[in-house]
This record gives sequence, C-alpha cells and structure tokens, in this order.
Amino acid sequence: MSRTEETRYWRSLRDLADHPEVAQLKSNEFLAGVTDESDVADLSPVSRRTFLALLSASAAFAAASCTNYRDKGEVVPYNKQPEEITIGKANYYASTCTGCSANCGILIKTREGRPVKVDGNPDHPVNAGKLCVRGQASVLDLYDPQRLRTPQFKGSGGGFAEGSWEEADRTIMSQLAKTAAEGKEIALVTHTVTSPTFRKVLDAFMARYPSSRTYSYELFSDRFRSNAWIRSYGSNGAPVIRWEAARTLLLLEADVLATEGDVLEQIRSITKNRDMNDPRHFSRIWVAEAGLSLTGMNADHRIRLKPGAQFEFVMGLIHEVAQRRKLSAISPETSVVEAIGQYPLAQVVARHRLPAHLVEGLVNGLVSHRGESIVFAGSTLPEEVHTAVILLNEVLGNTGLYDQRVSRVQYSSEATMEDWVLLVQKMREGKIGAIVHVDANPAYHLPQELRYAEAAQRVPAIVTLTQRENESSVISTIVLPINHAFESWGDFKTRTGQFSLQQPVIEPLYATRQKEAILLHWASGSTTQPDASSYHRYLKKRWEEEVYPSIKSPVAFSRFWHAALHDGLLLHSEKPIARGQFIINADWLQPLWRETDQFTVLVRPSQNVGDGRYAENGWLQEIPHPVSKVVWDNYAAVAPQTAKSLGVENNDIIDIRAGERRLQIPVFVQPGTAEDAVVIEHGYGRRTAGPVGTDVGFDVGSLMPVEIRSTPYIFSAAVTKGSGSYELVSTQEHHALDDAFVKDLHLKRKIIREGSVAQYLNTPDFIQKGRHEPESITKILEYDGVKWAMAIDLNKCIGCTACVASCVAENNIPVVGKEQVELGREMQWIRIDRYYSGTPEDPVVSNQPMLCQHCDHAPCENVCPVAATNHSPDGLNQMAYNRCVGTRYCSNNCPYKVRRFNFLDFRNDFADGIYAEEPMSALYNPEVTVRSRGVMEKCTFCIQRIMEARQVAAEEGREIRGSDVVTACQQACPADAIVFGDMNDPQSKVSHYRAHNLGYHVLEEINVRPNVTYMAKLRNRQTENPA
Amino acid sequence: MSFVDYSVEPPVVEGKPPLSSIDDAIIKPIDAKPTKAWFVAIAVSGTMLLIGAASLAVTFIFGVGMWGVNQPVGWGFDIVNFVFWVGIGHAGTLISAILFLLRQRWRTGIARFAEAMTIFAVMCAGLFPLIHTGRPWLDGYLMPYPNQHGLWINFTSPLVWDVFAVSTYFTVSAIFWYVGLIPDFATLRDRTVSRIKKIVYSILSLGWRHSNRHWQHYEMAYLILAGFATPLVLSVHTIVSFDFAVSIIPGWHTTIFPPYFVAGAVFSGFAMVQNMLIGIRKIYAIEHIITIDHLEKMNKIMITTGMMVGYAYGMEFFIAWYSGNSAETFVFFNRALGPYAWAYWTMVICNVVFPQLFWFKKIRRSIPAMFVIGVLVNVGMWFERFVIVVTSLSRDYLPSSWGFYVPSIYDIGILIGSFGLFFTLLLLFVKSMPVVSISEVKGVVEGAQPSHGGSH
Repeated sequence: MSRTEETRYWRSLRDLADHPEVAQLKSNEFLAGVTDESDVADLSPVSRRTFLALLSASAAFAAASCTNYRDKGEVVPYNKQPEEITIGKANYYASTCTGCSANCGILIKTREGRPVKVDGNPDHPVNAGKLCVRGQASVLDLYDPQRLRTPQFKGSGGGFAEGSWEEADRTIMSQLAKTAAEGKEIALVTHTVTSPTFRKVLDAFMARYPSSRTYSYELFSDRFRSNAWIRSYGSNGAPVIRWEAARTLLLLEADVLATEGDVLEQIRSITKNRDMNDPRHFSRIWVAEAGLSLTGMNADHRIRLKPGAQFEFVMGLIHEVAQRRKLSAISPETSVVEAIGQYPLAQVVARHRLPAHLVEGLVNGLVSHRGESIVFAGSTLPEEVHTAVILLNEVLGNTGLYDQRVSRVQYSSEATMEDWVLLVQKMREGKIGAIVHVDANPAYHLPQELRYAEAAQRVPAIVTLTQRENESSVISTIVLPINHAFESWGDFKTRTGQFSLQQPVIEPLYATRQKEAILLHWASGSTTQPDASSYHRYLKKRWEEEVYPSIKSPVAFSRFWHAALHDGLLLHSEKPIARGQFIINADWLQPLWRETDQFTVLVRPSQNVGDGRYAENGWLQEIPHPVSKVVWDNYAAVAPQTAKSLGVENNDIIDIRAGERRLQIPVFVQPGTAEDAVVIEHGYGRRTAGPVGTDVGFDVGSLMPVEIRSTPYIFSAAVTKGSGSYELVSTQEHHALDDAFVKDLHLKRKIIREGSVAQYLNTPDFIQKGRHEPESITKILEYDGVKWAMAIDLNKCIGCTACVASCVAENNIPVVGKEQVELGREMQWIRIDRYYSGTPEDPVVSNQPMLCQHCDHAPCENVCPVAATNHSPDGLNQMAYNRCVGTRYCSNNCPYKVRRFNFLDFRNDFADGIYAEEPMSALYNPEVTVRSRGVMEKCTFCIQRIMEARQVAAEEGREIRGSDVVTACQQACPADAIVFGDMNDPQSKVSHYRAHNLGYHVLEEINVRPNVTYMAKLRNRQTENPA
Repeated sequence: MSFVDYSVEPPVVEGKPPLSSIDDAIIKPIDAKPTKAWFVAIAVSGTMLLIGAASLAVTFIFGVGMWGVNQPVGWGFDIVNFVFWVGIGHAGTLISAILFLLRQRWRTGIARFAEAMTIFAVMCAGLFPLIHTGRPWLDGYLMPYPNQHGLWINFTSPLVWDVFAVSTYFTVSAIFWYVGLIPDFATLRDRTVSRIKKIVYSILSLGWRHSNRHWQHYEMAYLILAGFATPLVLSVHTIVSFDFAVSIIPGWHTTIFPPYFVAGAVFSGFAMVQNMLIGIRKIYAIEHIITIDHLEKMNKIMITTGMMVGYAYGMEFFIAWYSGNSAETFVFFNRALGPYAWAYWTMVICNVVFPQLFWFKKIRRSIPAMFVIGVLVNVGMWFERFVIVVTSLSRDYLPSSWGFYVPSIYDIGILIGSFGLFFTLLLLFVKSMPVVSISEVKGVVEGAQPSHGGSH
C-alpha cells in the first residue's frame, strides 16, 4: 500500500458521512453540563461531612448497643471533694503493721481514699523504711472478698446465719454475765499483746468479768530465749542486740534474716558489715543449723548440725573458749565447771562428725573477736541451749553487744502448754463457760493431739473475732467480723522509749468493728451500741491521761497527739530495764531431751505464711520460698543422703510417726540439710482458709507434741517411705542438681561472679579481668539526658523476696495459682534466682535478683512484629500493652527470660475468679495498667514512678534527677542492695556502682548491653582470710 | 547385565495410551458419584477437622494458656506445626516450578497434585501464625496499614518477613496452580453433561478454546510464573528459618539454618507427595501415568535431601564445638542427651538412617517400603522442628529459668485438626478437579509431539 495517501479513520458510519452532529461533538471536548459552574443548591442536602458523621454515628451506636465489653459500671464523681484528696495524687499515712509482734512502722499509700500499697516508715527505728514480704502483702487482705461482712450466728443445723451487732452484743454480754455469775471461767485467747491500750482493754474486760483468764500465745515465740535470759540475769526479756557491732556471728538454728525476731532491723544491721566499699570490715557469718535457711544460705560458713546436737556444740565451744582463754573458773561453782568439762570440743566434733577445721576456725574467730562477736540461738531451740549461749557470750565478753539503751517490753505472759492442757481439760469438764478467740486461731495452732476443737463442743459459748472464717470460727457459736489493720486504731510498744501508732486509712468496708472496740463494749456493759470511734476516743484518752503526762511534752495534747499520729510513732527517752547480775547454775546446763537414734523433726515458721495466718494471701502463697523456690506448699526437707537411704525422691510421700502422732508429707530433697533430720515449716495445711488457703500444704499440727520435754519444735520420730506421691511445684530447678552436665553452669557462664574478701583486697579488679567489652559493628546510640540504670549489690542481697512482694503490689501482678506455676507461668516481674555450687551436702548458695535488664540492644525489641516493645529515649525497654498481639517472640528471644505472658485471663482464672470479685478492683494501683489476656508484660523500672517524678520536676521547673525516682523493689529492699538512678549523672550512686571494680553484667558476652549491673559477691571465708 | 541406552529418554507415560484414554482415566473419577471409600475418608478427615475446630474454639475462648506453652517455652506445637506445614508445601513448588524450568518432563504426572498439596499445606501453615497469638483478634496489626496513630509494623522482625513470605508464597502458588488448571477446566467443561458443572467449569476456564494463541499465551504465562515461583522455593523456608536464626537463643542462632531448612522442607514435601500419590495412582488406576519411575525419582530426591539434612545435623554439632561457645555446645549436648533426647533420636533415625535404605533399588521401587519410609521421614521432620523449637527454648542461658514443655490435649487436637484440614481439602480436590494435568500429560505421551520422521 502506498503511504503517500493519508488513511482516513472513521468511528461510525455517520462520522464517515460527515454528519454535522458528529462534527459538533468532535469540536466540543466535554459533554454538556460538565463544564457548567457548580451550584450548591443543586447538591444533595446531606453533605459529605454530614454523611460521614451519620455513618460513623450509626456505626458507633450499633457497636455500643450490642456490647457491654468495656462497660465498667457506674462511675460517680465526688460530689464534694474531700479536703485532703487531690485526684491523681497519693496520700501517705503513717501507721503500724500488725502482721507479727515486731510491729514495724508503715506508710500506707492511698489513692482517692483507697489503700493501694504499704511501705516501711523511714522514721521507725526498727524497720527504718523497709517492710517484709508479709507486711507488703497485708494490703491484699484488706480487699479479700472472703472477709466476713456481718456477725454470724451458728444455727441449730450447724450452719451460720447472718445477724446484727445488737443481737450479737446482747447475746454475748448476757452469756458472759451468766458465766461470770456462775463462776465459770471465760477464756480470752489472744496473740501476744504488744499494745498497751489493748492491754488496758483486756484488763477492763477482766475486771468486769472476774472469772475470765487470758491465754496469749504465738505459735513461734521467743519464750525459751526470754526464760533463759530471765533465769541468767534475773530481770528483763531477751535483749536487743547491736548486730552491726558484731564482727563474727554464730547463729544457731536462728533464721535472723527471715523469721526470727525483728527481721528488718537484723537484715539492715547485719548487711551493714557486708559493704563492698569497706572490705576490711566484713563480718564473718557462721551458721550451724539442720535445714538450709535463708540465713544459712547467706553464711560464710555453714555447719550442718542436727537440732539435738546444738546443746553439746555450744557446750563444747564454751569448753574450748574457756581453755583457750585460760579461764580456769567460769563460775565459782565447781558443778558448772564440771558440767562444761563433760563436753570437750574435740569429742563433740568427733561424735557429730563435724568439720574439724571449720570448728577450729570458728573458735579462733570467736576468740580473736571476743567482745565483737555474738552467738545467737534460734527460738525453736530449748532453754538449755539459750542458757549455754548466754554463758558463751559471757565467756567471750560479748555482753557489750546487748543494747543498753533499749529493752523489750511485754504486755502479756505467754500461755504455756500446761496452761493449754489445763484449759482443754476444763473445757471437757464443762468448767469453761465461754471462750473468746480474739483474732487468734487456736483450733489450728494448738497441737491436734490436744483435741481442742473436740473439747470446744462442751463449751456453751464460743465467740470468734476474725476477719475471715478459720478453723476456730467454724467451731464457734458466734463469729464477729473485725476490722483490717488499715481500718483500725491502735498503739504498740515493743521496746522502751518507742511507741508506734496505728490509724485507720479507710472507713471499714463492711459492718465490722475492731476487736478492741468489741471487747471494750462488752467490758462497759452498756446496752447502747458503740459508735464507730469508741476505741479511738478510748485510745486518745489513755494517751492524754497516761502517756502525755509521762512524756512531759512542751506542746498541748492535741498538737502532741496529731504530731505522733502524723509520724506514726513517738520516740522519747525512757530508762531501759537494767540487766541484773549474771548467774549460772549447773542444773540449767543439763539437756532435758536427748536425740534418739531415730530421725529428728524440726518444725520451723514459714517466712511467707507465718504461723498460717497469711495462708489466705495469694501473693504470699505464690512468692517462692526463698531457699527451695517451692510455691503453694510446705514439705519435709531432707538431705540427699537421707533421701537415698529412705529410698525416696522429690515428691514421694514419707510417713512420719512420733508415738500416736503422724504426718504424711511429700519430700523435698534440700541440699544442705543435716542427715537424719526432717525440717518442716508450719503454717500450711489450713483446713478452713477460704478458697485460697484451704488444704494448701500439710498441717504439722498433727505432729506437734503436747508433752514437751524441752521444746515443742524439735522431737524424735520414725520416718518411713509412705505410699504415693504429691506434686510440689517450684519456680526453679526443673533439673537434677547433681547432674555433672548442668553442674556449676552459673559459674561457667559467668552469670554469677564472686570471690573472696582476701582476693578483692589483693586484686581489686579481679572481676574485671574476666570481662571483655564486645565489639560492635554498628553505631552505638548515645543517650543524652537521663538514662535509667540499676545496680544490685549481691553482697547485700540476701534473697528475702521483699522486693518481689513490693513489685507485685505496685504493679498489679495477678495470682496465677499452683497449677499455672507448675506449667511455668508465674507472673512476678522480679525473681530471685538461687544457684547451688559445691556439694549437695554442703552447697554454696548464690542469690541473684533477676528482672528486665532494659538492654540497650534489647533482643526482644527487634523481633516484635508490631513494635509493641520498644526503647524510650531515657533508656527504658517499654511495653505498649495495647499494641501487643502476643506472639511471645520477645520472650523467646530474651536471654534473661524475664518477660511474663498472660496466657489466660489471670485476673479471672485463679480459684474460680476469687480475685476478680469485688472489692478487689479497689486494690489495683491506678497508675499501672491492668493487663488482659494475650499480652506480654515485664518489669518497667516502675515507669509510673518515673513519670510522677517527671511531673513533679516539670511543676518545679527543673530537669528530672535520677535520685527523684525510687523503684518499688528498691524501696522495699531491707538491705538496700538495689540502687537505681541516672547513669549519665557521674555523681549518681548508680554510675559509681557501674564503674565499680566489682560490677559486672550478666551475659555481657552476647552484647545486649544490659542496664542492670551486678556487684560481685565477696565471701569472707576463714580459709581465705584468717583475719 | 543388559545394555542401557542412556541417549534415549525412557517414556514418561507407560504404554503409549491413546490421548482420549488419558482424558477418561483422569476425568472419570470426577464425573462418577463418590465412592463409599471416599465418604469414609472424608468422614475421618472431617472428624479430625472438627476436633481441631473444637480445640481452637476452646483456645479462642480461654486463651493460648490452654496449650502447653509457658515461660521459657513460648512456642510449642503452634510454631512446630507451622514450620512443618510450610515445609510440606515445598515439594509442590519445586516439582512444578524448578523441574519445569529444568525441563524435567516426568514432572507432568505429579505436578498438579503436588501443587494442590502445596496450597493446602500453606493454608494449614498459614493458620498457625494467626492462631498462635495471644490476641488473635488483633492479627491485623501484623499487616502494614495506614492508621491515625502513625503506627507501623516493625520491619526488623522476622515474623513480619514471615507474613510477607507466606502470603506471597500462597498467592503465587495459587495463581500458578490455577493457570495450569485452565486448559483442564476447559476439557472438563467440554465433557461434562451436568448443567451446574458446565456453568462452574465455564467460569473457571475463562473462555479457553484450546486455540493456538491461547496456548502461546498460556505457555508464556506459565513460564513466567514458574520463574516467579522458583525463588520462592528457596526464599520461603529461608525466611521461616530466620525466625530462629535471627534470634540470639543458642540452638536457634545458627547461620546454617536457611539451606538446612530448605533441604528439610523439600525432603518432607517429597515424602508427603510420594505418600499421597501412592494412594492416588492406585485408586485412580493411573499407574501408567504416575509410574513407579516417578516414585523412584522422588525417592532419589529424598535420599539426597535427607543426606543434606543429616549433614546439617552433623555440622551443627561441629560448629557448636568449634565455636567454643559454651552455651551453644551445651544446647547441642542437651539435645542429644537431655530430657528431650528421645525426640532428637527419633528425628535422627527417621531422617538420616531410614532414608539410607533408598540406596537399594529394590527398596526404592518397592511401594510398601517407600511408603513406610516416607511416613517415617515426615514423622522425623516434624520432630526436627520440635527439637529446634522446644529444646532450644527449654534450656537457654540462665539455668534458673529452665523449663519443660508438655503439650496439652488442645495442642494435639489442633495438630490433628491441621491434618484434618489438609486431608479434607485434598479429598475435595480429588473429587472436583483433575489430579493430573491432562494437557501436560498428553504432551509427554510418546508420539504426542510432532516428529520429524523419526530423526532429530
């Protein structure tokens, strides 16, 4: 085809025919109307905006009307704002902890009127701003849904019916009056009384009902120590010891860092001499005990000793020290010298197969540090041991360590076992007209052999004053609900010159009264109901009339009173009770009981549940045992060799028989236990303790003797392998301890680095020599401004788990229950890792608090697909809960395994959702998100506290300082082992620690650049450092 | 010993069947009413699927806490199954894409079925990342989408790479499979007498008329898609292996993982294809199309990849020792001697020892023997993933946080359910679509290609 002729293309036949219409269309590019000006009037009345608004509104209505997913019920604002409350700001009130008879001072943090956290009162001389596990957890009990809300009356069918206070008071007062008229006894059962005003109430009660008698007791008291003391010095209870002055400490079956005495004071003053900055003044701690205790695992040297051998051991030491010091006459009486002469140390050592070189070193240490050493026996040991210990301290000239400035005060005398036997006998004989359990639970605490509950059936009126149902309340005729400590008034005095005050921080949640008010009302005999502040007035009146005049305060009483209330305590000068002349008698140095060749059972208190009164506290049940890491149970701890000879392993049931008494309990093979000893903690196996505490563990009460030769806590028993097994659950050690394959991995991997004091003195940088700074091929991000970091001094950390409790309370951490812990789903953000090295017989224990390390190169962050975990400009590894979809990749990739995942809706999962019931929601810290299921969580370095400090700094127009923030764990740590602050501030303590010769990071070789520095532990062993 | 002429390719389809008989052989089972055996089979697989659905429902209601996962083992059966199923899928793509590009004509008999398996396996696999999350209703967060919070996904996370890798793999595989099906759908459309089927097949065949131009475009598209799919064979399992290799956990943090995972995937995929085809060729009476030679070739690939996997097992140990990294060394000793040693040795025996039997031609060509070995290989490969995921996590850096993983009944239920889903989909597939590519097989029948008078 020729290209010269232009080809003509046509679109239609009309186009081909050159129709004019087509021509016009072609010339007009746009169709008619398209180019016209737009006219608003022509538009639809529904604009685009209106349309979108309607669309979204209808979608919102549709969504909202179909679900109550986020409906949290009615929210009512303050009608009139209370004067002292600023919404969003916490108020702190000083009060007193009543968890045990130490009566530490506390500061209760309240938010919008709700107590949410408890910490120590820094002004209090005993606990100095610190609080133990149980104190920390006491806030949970306030909101426990199981608390009784009204008086309960036992019906004829045995069940309880609710009733009114009027009815209760009327019934009880008439019963009491009748009993008093008949001359029958009214038994008032209380715990040890440490409140002078409560003492006065009791006295008033007894004055009104003269046939009444008080039975005060503690399951574990220092009765034997006090008795020995009174015998030896003629006056005054056991002394307050100046632990900080002791260079050598010998602790005999005395868990002074966990369960014995004023624990927080002891931790503080003992760890004071474990200061890495003052290595020349390290104390040396010796422990001789049967079961590995928290104190034992922190000892420099530990001697395994059956409880029955303690007496001989102390006598041997006295013998040896006397010889060394050439004290020919310890006492003018030859009988005493003869009594000691029976125990040459070498014989004692040989008989009990003790490590001779260690005992030698111990004697050297005691002798060379005489006057600066202390020997201390635990309260489970019998009186003769305490007497011998007093003598040993005398021989060593250690009496200077008994604090001359204060002495202990007691407001009740302890009921002895004879008293109880007599009481039960009288109950059986119908001589007891009424029993009042004043916040005490004898039906659980007394040995089962005594058959208290059975005898109680013969008592016409039993009244139990309690917060929750317990073993004693179920056998009562009337149960009266009492206030929680945070709803109560009170005063306490445990030492001369120190009053501690208790004030309520919240109105009673239910129709409850405080126990003092109830007794006071009955003592008054008044027929009109008391008002809520009756005891408040009584307390104040007593102070005005008795305390205020004795103080000789220059200010008016109301100012004096309010100042004391504000401080929570009153310190004044008061003359301590003087120590009398030391006397010793050979008769007191005779052992009342000798071990037979059977097994010896030692019953010890539990750190977490105490004497069982905290068994209903889910936090405490779930905080691992400081040594074994077992949760939700007690067990029979036996030595590995003993287990082998019994043919049992972990979880196997053993059968313990002591006469008619019997207990079947699972075995836990505890390294470090003395051979042929069985160590069991009391406080478990509660039979009536609500859904949380009932049947958790095993009740040692069935094994406790009524007939006591010397001490009820130590007795011989036959132990055989029982049938079956029982699953004990621990948060650690899912592998055999003596497996060569896994042995000492924590040392090989340099997770734990430690050395001796001598090594440190010779080569201060010995820890640094094993370190290497990993090379980085990428640019390291510089942080300017504040960068948060933590340092943990392993010389101070004893592993008491107070930090764990504080963290749980601060950060709304749920209770998951034994089954979930067994699966490996515990939720605590901080844990204390405990590693054993050495032999299973004599393990060397290392503790290490482990929490999120807030790594600069956090391996969790780069694997999160949705960037839910990320890094803040101030160096925090953050979690955005709302963004988290829950792939768990971060947790897998965390080398420290500190992340915690909400596998289920843990708020609602445990014990049929008991902790999802009201009023539990009031417990939550409003500054911390409550996490839902499917969300990852972990330690935040208490970011809510950082943000609060930031806000305060902004209000004050300054930059935030590292010292402004105290994390919950740091605040709780009784040894001040945790340091937190700004590492970019060269003056801060934390940057000093980071640069310290003993500082190291865990797993630093993988270059994640953690921001928690650990200070290597120094051990002060006599083999390495004879001084 | 007889002389073998290697210059002549042995016939792919045995016995020179007429082309129409191939149509009949492949299409007849689709046209016929399902047999009793089929109903029994689908009843079984449907039950398995329901078990999985019930387990999943429990998981959705109460949370992943119903599974055995814990601290420190945050991943259990969920990710084990995910990696296992992704691996199963690999044989399909390898057969259909790589062997296509390499002009392996024997692939035609098995390619369709293997591709279908790929798609179903990836569907099973894709389920797990979606359900393993703690809050599956927020899975959408894993996709990048613009939102008013300015939130974006974290591109450094291998899980994000997974999302893209698996979804790309699924898309490409599905398109590839569908494109290959078009001519066959047209054949089905032309043959069917059912009105409904006619409509369905008409739509599915996209107006295919077997015209020359159609074939030209088809061949080109198929080639391009094969080119697309080929890198995916390598990339998908490489990226899946990054989930582990990119982490810092000893036993995961290993550079050998990508090739090792790919080899393992091909290994398990071929074992599964071989297992399934043994049944199909028997039931469908197409033993002349899927011949014993096919099966033997697959067995040869299995012994090859099996040895690659075995090499990787050995090399892991060597490097663990050679690196001098004590944590790494420990993990491998722990695998062989620790509490999960039984799983490790199951893996080694199934994956390395049993495939060695394929050195013997008799076993290579014995259907019962190869079936058993194939099953064992899949058992072994499942345990391989179990060993990698679980043993590494259960004992990592800090001995204080070691744990133990025990699957719950819901874990097992979901595993059964995933097999139920897989078999149900396969059963529906064999009843509704040609299991062998009719058009491609016709092309490799002896004499089907134009010949130039018998000489080249």
